[in-house]
Amino acid sequence: MHLQTFISAITHLERDEWTDFASIWQPYSARRKELLSAVGEVEKYLYFVTSGIQRAFYIHNKDREATLVFTYPFSFSGIADSFLTQQPSRYYLETLTASTFLRTTYGQLSAVMNKHRKIEQTILKATAFALEGVLQRQIELQCFTAEEKFRALLKRSPHVLGLIPHKYLASYLAIDAATFSRLLSSVRI
Amino acid sequence: MINLVVDQDLHFLIIAALCYQSNSNMKTYLTTDLLEQLKAQTEALLDKAIKERQMIPSDMFSTQPSATEWSATQCLSHLNGYGKYYLPLLEAAIRKASQGNKLSETFTPGWLGEYFTNLMQPKPDGTVSKKMKAPKQNIPPANENSDEVIALFIEQQEKMLQLLNTATGVNLGRRQIPISIAKFIRLKTGDVFRFVVAHNVRHVAQVERALSKVSKTSIRRAPLNTHTVSIIGMHHYRLWNKTK
Repeated sequence: MHLQTFISAITHLERDEWTDFASIWQPYSARRKELLSAVGEVEKYLYFVTSGIQRAFYIHNKDREATLVFTYPFSFSGIADSFLTQQPSRYYLETLTASTFLRTTYGQLSAVMNKHRKIEQTILKATAFALEGVLQRQIELQCFTAEEKFRALLKRSPHVLGLIPHKYLASYLAIDAATFSRLLSSVRI
Repeated sequence: MINLVVDQDLHFLIIAALCYQSNSNMKTYLTTDLLEQLKAQTEALLDKAIKERQMIPSDMFSTQPSATEWSATQCLSHLNGYGKYYLPLLEAAIRKASQGNKLSETFTPGWLGEYFTNLMQPKPDGTVSKKMKAPKQNIPPANENSDEVIALFIEQQEKMLQLLNTATGVNLGRRQIPISIAKFIRLKTGDVFRFVVAHNVRHVAQVERALSKVSKTSIRRAPLNTHTVSIIGMHHYRLWNKTK
């Protein structure tokens, strides 16, 4: 089971801890280009992606769109900050392809976290990794040139070129579509 | 304004069709079946565009196989012109129809809608059933930026998919969308869905043929080895990759 593999890489859960943790997840599926969470709503779910690609995006002044993050199998998805703070989301989450998930609610997760300190620690650790990733990306967005960002993306995830519309990749790197096309035809990985 | 790419003769055919307009012998679809079929066709076009088209070098995409044949870029640009006209109209028609409380589980094509769709639809082997010629003013320019054209095509297919998703349960049988060549003729929402998707399929098959004709001398760009990297990889979840 992918969720178990994923969690065991973060921490080792005892049998009863794992049994309780595994029991809070429900399967869920969504079609392509379906909105999972909208601005102004509190994120109800923490998702674990089992197939498909999702995209979180922010809309600025009704016309400028920024792609914040993509999620894939096997990792968590959902509007993390809204879920954890239980405050309304400032951005959207949608599927880019038909997707399947396991998902759980804030209430269910809180209950197992309260029951097992080890599970609470696991979630804390996962959140810390995510925070580190966000800040690392902040560095890249502020310091890297377009080409450095492009290279970093392709080094990390070359497969995305054939999975995600390039417009979204360009938006994710905060470079314009024409620059992205130019880099695509000139940069050798 | 965008026109239908058909012979001028079609104008006369339309008039003739209107004279004989009748709904007899028309197949009735379950709306959900029809929408699922159109979604599957649109998804297939979208998948191909994302997986392959985006990666084709622009000089290859914009090469005309011969002086009289369109390049792949021109084919998609032609479809984009249609999308620009019809997608907003479809969106408005669905919004309007979903506000009304008249839901409908079935859809019966109109005579003209059926005629247009059949005219566009390629045969199962991919060959076109009736060769058509675009009027001069509708031939897309040969010098457009292929990356922009492909990006817009993908954006429009995603939009089409969302519209097909929101159309579930709404009445597609109202005649409310004026056709581009003759605004006084209005087609049923379901017919516009059918013929626009059929038209997309038709010209994407043409893209295929154009590319295979010019591909012999070109190469794909950006050499990729997808096996070297784990499937997870973006920043936020970077460290979680340890699981792989």
